[in-house]
Amino acid sequence: MRIVIAEDDTLLREGLGLVLRGEGFDVVASTGGPEEFLAAVAEHRPDVAVVDVRMPPTHTDEGIKAAVEARRAHPELAVLVLSAYVEESFATDLLAAGAERVGYLLKERVGRVDTFVEALQRVAEGGTAIDPEVVAQLFAQRRAGDPLERLTPREKEVLSVMAEGLGNAAIAKRLFITENAVHKHIRNIFFKLDLAPDDQTDRRVAAVLRYLESA
Amino acid sequence: MGSANTVSADERRMLREALRATFYNAYGAAIGLLALYTVPVLLIAALLCAVRIGRPTARPLLRWVRRLSEFERGRLRRIGYQIESPYHDPDPGPEWTLRSLAADPDVRRELSWLFLHATWGLILGLVALQIPVTAVHDATYPLWWYAVGPAEQRLLNGVVEARTWGTAVIGPVVGAAVFALWLIGAPKLLDLQARPGRNLLGPDPDTDLSERVARLTATRAAALDAHAVELRRIERALHDGAQNRIVGVAVLVGAARREVHRDPGRADEILARAQDAVEQSLAELRAVVRSILPPVLENRGLEGALSALASDCAVPCEVTVEVPARCPASVETTAYFAVAESLTNVAKHSGASRAEIEVRLHGGRLHVRVTDDGRGGADPAGGSGLAGIARRVEAHDGDVAIDSPVGGPTEIRVELPCGS
Repeated sequence: MRIVIAEDDTLLREGLGLVLRGEGFDVVASTGGPEEFLAAVAEHRPDVAVVDVRMPPTHTDEGIKAAVEARRAHPELAVLVLSAYVEESFATDLLAAGAERVGYLLKERVGRVDTFVEALQRVAEGGTAIDPEVVAQLFAQRRAGDPLERLTPREKEVLSVMAEGLGNAAIAKRLFITENAVHKHIRNIFFKLDLAPDDQTDRRVAAVLRYLESA
Repeated sequence: MGSANTVSADERRMLREALRATFYNAYGAAIGLLALYTVPVLLIAALLCAVRIGRPTARPLLRWVRRLSEFERGRLRRIGYQIESPYHDPDPGPEWTLRSLAADPDVRRELSWLFLHATWGLILGLVALQIPVTAVHDATYPLWWYAVGPAEQRLLNGVVEARTWGTAVIGPVVGAAVFALWLIGAPKLLDLQARPGRNLLGPDPDTDLSERVARLTATRAAALDAHAVELRRIERALHDGAQNRIVGVAVLVGAARREVHRDPGRADEILARAQDAVEQSLAELRAVVRSILPPVLENRGLEGALSALASDCAVPCEVTVEVPARCPASVETTAYFAVAESLTNVAKHSGASRAEIEVRLHGGRLHVRVTDDGRGGADPAGGSGLAGIARRVEAHDGDVAIDSPVGGPTEIRVELPCGS
């Protein structure tokens, strides 16, 4: 898998490169700013871009803007955004154009190499990877009367793990329940969120999106 | 008085005081002279306004009066009276009349001062100048009286005739008496001359309370702003510094754990880097803490803290601190930070052989000066700490001046309002 890194902090950039190369990925370019990053993406056409949120010149949300821009220019590109802290507006900006091939993780997750690599692979294969911290923050801000309020605590739990991008088997493993139970919960979630069976949209993605958008 | 060797410290201090007072009296007389010329111009302009052709002159004339009164405020500040300017600039507005101008308390007070200073202030200033001249004239009279014409053979500023040796020798006695009078009286003359300005140039005590509130609100907002800037700086320092380092450590440790079994040597190498990064993050945390409130400042005051900085500096450093009272903690911290950054630059970039730190409290402002004899060429845009100094000083409404020509020497001056 070919990867481009955008991270302005030298130590982290090298650390990321170290981890990814160690896991057998092909890091084709390591960049330190948004423009350099966009140029590298255009040149190398990587499978995945790993992007830091805070980059020069203002160190606010340049990374998010660059990621959105890269996704628009190269729809087949998977983007995994790393952030030093959770900011849910970043997540919604990023997911505005769909939740496929997108990830948003706290930076320190990179240290848990196997989970990080799993998330990276999931995003590269067209899935989603949202940090549990982001998901928790979104739940904390739920308003009354929200359709999500109709979900039972167990269903909310399933939905938040689903939002991280896990499949049924992985959800079952994480929550220590059977795959059958997961299946039942997900059916209830679709029903309560008025997501009728439809060949056009992936209902899992739609549920996650509804969940993120109503934040 | 006795011989020069036995002149006591007290007498020397009196002489210094009298000289200073006379200097500022003369300065006041100069302002008085300008005021004297302004009075007839104002009268003519008022007449022209009465027949409506002088209206365009009102604004520039009011500005000029404000300028003169600002000179006087500056003079009063330097002799120890802090006088605040009126709240708004002199602006007659589009619909003014002579009556509405006369009703404006600021204008009325400034014009009253102008008139008093053009007469009373000017006369006092001239008298204050005349007294020491008379003293010297009379004291030296016996040396030259016979050489001048009979019309100038007089003592005591021309009051007493002295055309014989017998009367000429009275000269030194009279001169000494006048000198003594000058020593005692000069500060009093200065005080008298300052009185109209002190009474009339400050904001009118009856000024609308809402304007005072507006000014207080503005200064309070500025203080809160400075506070917010400070918080943002700390947040940035923690986020982009220490936190990034620690995240880096987490990543490196993760990488090392993966390598432990595959290649222990490589894992050890990665762990060494992680250790470096932890140490760096500790150093950065210490720097952030120091920049919030240096512990040494708390314990030993500005002078002690700066001496500690100077003795830590690789370049020999001379410290002069003349700050009789303690300033607000935020001001002291900013001054300390500015000196610390400047010394870092001196040690790292200047190649200087010596540096000098001077801190003085003067007129309600803390003046900080750091100089070195190095190669100069310091540039605030060059990523040195200079931009940081400017940011912090400006947050306190202070000023920074950097003078560093290529080839040196470098001088960094910082001025901070000390909120007295």
